[in-house]
Amino acid sequence: MFNISNLKYTYKENEIKNDYNFSLNVKQSEIVGIIGQSGSGKSTLLDLLAGFLAPISGNITFNDIDITTLNTENRPLTILFQKYNTFEHLSVIKNVLLGINTSFKVKEEEIKEAMIILKEVGLDGFEDKLASTLSGGQSQRVALARCLIRKKPILLLDEPFTGLDSNTKEKMLELVKEITEKLKLYTIMVTHDLSDCEKIANRVYKVENGKTSIFKFV
Amino acid sequence: MPLNSIYRFRLSLIPGGLLSILLLFLAFAIFFILFSNIDNKDFFSSIITSRIFDLVRFTVYQALLSTLFSILLGTVLAWALTHQNSFKSRSYLIALLSSSLILPTLIVVFGIITVLGQNGWLNRALLYLFDYSFENSIYGLSGILIAHVYLNASFVARSLLHVFESIPKERYKLAKSLNFSTIQRFRYIEFPAIKLSLRSISSTIFLLCFTSFAIVLTLGGSPSYNTLEVAIYEAIKIDFDIPLALKLAFIQLSITIVLVFLSANFKVGISDIKTSTQKIPWLETKKLRILQISIILFSSILFILPLVSILIDGLGANFIKIFSDIVFIESFITSLIIASISSILTVLFALLISDTRRNFNINHRIKKTKFRSFINMIIAFSGNIYLAIPSLILGLGFFLLSLKFEAPLSYWAFGSVLCANILMSLPFALSILYPPMANVAQRYDKLSFSLNLKGSKRWLYCEWPYIKSSVLYVFALSFCLSLGDLGVIALFGSDEISTLPWYLYNLMGSYQTKDAAGVALILLILTLSVFIFLPRIFTRKKDV
Repeated sequence: MFNISNLKYTYKENEIKNDYNFSLNVKQSEIVGIIGQSGSGKSTLLDLLAGFLAPISGNITFNDIDITTLNTENRPLTILFQKYNTFEHLSVIKNVLLGINTSFKVKEEEIKEAMIILKEVGLDGFEDKLASTLSGGQSQRVALARCLIRKKPILLLDEPFTGLDSNTKEKMLELVKEITEKLKLYTIMVTHDLSDCEKIANRVYKVENGKTSIFKFV
Repeated sequence: MPLNSIYRFRLSLIPGGLLSILLLFLAFAIFFILFSNIDNKDFFSSIITSRIFDLVRFTVYQALLSTLFSILLGTVLAWALTHQNSFKSRSYLIALLSSSLILPTLIVVFGIITVLGQNGWLNRALLYLFDYSFENSIYGLSGILIAHVYLNASFVARSLLHVFESIPKERYKLAKSLNFSTIQRFRYIEFPAIKLSLRSISSTIFLLCFTSFAIVLTLGGSPSYNTLEVAIYEAIKIDFDIPLALKLAFIQLSITIVLVFLSANFKVGISDIKTSTQKIPWLETKKLRILQISIILFSSILFILPLVSILIDGLGANFIKIFSDIVFIESFITSLIIASISSILTVLFALLISDTRRNFNINHRIKKTKFRSFINMIIAFSGNIYLAIPSLILGLGFFLLSLKFEAPLSYWAFGSVLCANILMSLPFALSILYPPMANVAQRYDKLSFSLNLKGSKRWLYCEWPYIKSSVLYVFALSFCLSLGDLGVIALFGSDEISTLPWYLYNLMGSYQTKDAAGVALILLILTLSVFIFLPRIFTRKKDV
């Protein structure tokens, strides 16, 4: 179980203090949707989970192990951002391989693994293309492939399908659902679009005034 | 450790931070050296003499006129180029306009004299065709203004063209649908877009003309057309009147510091050399098309003719004689060494300072507080303060130091010219390198941290690919600025040490026009080759 309890954070902007207090949990093979208006604190929640921000108090535990103070790179999670997910000057396969190997020498078996994952996300034959030549949907697939190759149990999605056309978005949502179930992931998807949650989320939390509350069961 | 932990950024805080402190300390040291040499007794009582008042008045007057004419011509040309964007040689003309910033001023002066001088092309053509010639000499205010407008109008045109082209095409469609006239189009669509840039460009040009040295020195002609900068030079080099030089430096610095403080937003570089060929959805009337084409033609002739004259006159020079002159060889090698070292150090300093500064400007790195804003301002100021210190004043500082600490003059000259070139290029380098570096951090910090990309790997995967063309542009720019500089070397230039501009200046001063034309051509080819070809090595990919 991925559990977040009473995670508190305070942010001051233009003399206005914003207090956040988040609590939620995610079960294995489950997709939890997080919805809320702009500025409600959705991204702050994700930044706290990812370790980009340090909470004042509260805990993040994964399978009863406290990960609250771990660095981003050491947490059992991987993130798909809304934009700037790929390095455009690198090939598709190099972008994926960066998930497991940041050195300049890559092993043969790592390449094989990346090829299998690229096939899984529907990018078979794209491995040598430059990331700059891909469409928005294809770029997000590359980023998703990189998340998968890292083999981390928790997948955080930060409004990953904003700006994609409805057809591509539909396919990507299906892919996320399929992967979560197949790899038994703990997936958290932040979105401002309730219909995304309705399609794939098992449960939905609403963030309002810096607090999380169950929105509705799908 | 969260993303905004200072510990994460400690390595990017220290080198740039120390460098900023060093730059501020150096500026302070120069002020200290200059003003500790002032004799307090009669300094302030005798500071405003009628001679000094005349100098200040003329310096301000020529800078104002130069700025006004440059802005007028540059704006009109940018406007014409925006609406006539499909003729064949447009990209070449724009490349030429972009190069104006780095053209050695002495080359421009030489070209202008060749075309507009008493025995220049224009007068000879007029004499041949109409048996008439201009009596007025190019030397004096007119020459200064022409040279300043030549260098700065092209800078204005190039900068504003970018702004004109970034106006959304929908605005033009809206204006057309509302049946706007051309004047209304300019008033409601174009002028509001360029207004802000005009302010920063004007302040930059005013500052450049206010501190202009080589142009006034060569085209001023007589003491009545001297500026503060040239008067400082004459006080040191000709009259050896250090107290007078210090008085003038004090006035010069007071004015430039006020100018830099008043105009916090200087436009000191054109980072994007690409232009748009996207059609504006507005079909110009025939009359307007003729007007725009005429403006482009007139400006092209104005900008190209002096360069063509250098090419033609230069080709007639005796290159065997030039290349067998040992002083030329020494000047050439010295110039290349100084330009190479100073441009490498300028790039390095700009990278380190920008790397430190972005920590204080990006919300997810260091929390936004008043202290953070203050540090950000100090770091930016440490690089930009040298906009307020003209090269001659820097030179005066080094000159006074050389009198106190004995060492061979050539060592002092080499060190001073090198140091001055780095400090003069640094504001340009920072204004070009900082935005892409801040963008990279803004966009890729989270991804890099989540992938654990650090140190050299982060640099190679995440930083260098996005900033490499800006780095090369800065390198080329500072190389060319250094190659053409006739500032500090004018104080230190001697038989022992010389640079190409100093060598050219001496040839021009001793009326060896043919040799001067050859050297001007060599300098022109060298400068343009570096500026045009070097940044293209990595221009396949666009920076962020």
